[in-house]
Amino acid sequence: MKKVTIYALSTCLWCKKTRKYFEDKKIEFEAVDYDKQDEARQEELMAEMRAAGGTGSFPFVKIGGASTQGYDPEEFEKLLYNK
Amino acid sequence: MSAQARKEALRFLFEPVIDKLGYKFTPVEEDAEFLLEQEAILEAGTGVPYCPCQARTKDRAENMRMVCPCIPFHRAHYDAMRRCWCGLFVHKDVTDPDKLKQFPESKIGK
Repeated sequence: MKKVTIYALSTCLWCKKTRKYFEDKKIEFEAVDYDKQDEARQEELMAEMRAAGGTGSFPFVKIGGASTQGYDPEEFEKLLYNK
Repeated sequence: MSAQARKEALRFLFEPVIDKLGYKFTPVEEDAEFLLEQEAILEAGTGVPYCPCQARTKDRAENMRMVCPCIPFHRAHYDAMRRCWCGLFVHKDVTDPDKLKQFPESKIGK
């Protein structure tokens, strides 16, 4: 199974829904709350998201070597299973 | 002011603004309550009711683009999704927000 990492905000509804999606599918993931990180780490995360074509909107989900922004189960499935 | 009172105040303040923009509060009341609560918390901490689903940086101008309701700053993107990014607001004709997709601006029209 591909490695899944969720960049989230603790205040973000769709980040919670994203976590639940992977929990319900019993797919292991790592979650990083951007707003709980120190300033230096936040800058690193933002730079990584922007380098991948993202903005400062959450959730930002890395699946294997790809990434997507937003709660989009169809896109998650595509990236998980190369559909 | 209590958190509940502030949530109600935010509803009162936002409603006429979003109405003119062609939006309404999401009909999923549980989601609206959660999102307004997060905004009230952010406002209590920062003085500004920022979008709870977008990250602030050191760039003040950029941060101002995510003050709720942030629809005017992201008009084409949100109109394409028929909802704002956090989903607090949806187009007036939307009855089932769960059918709407959340996608990045880069995917408009794709």
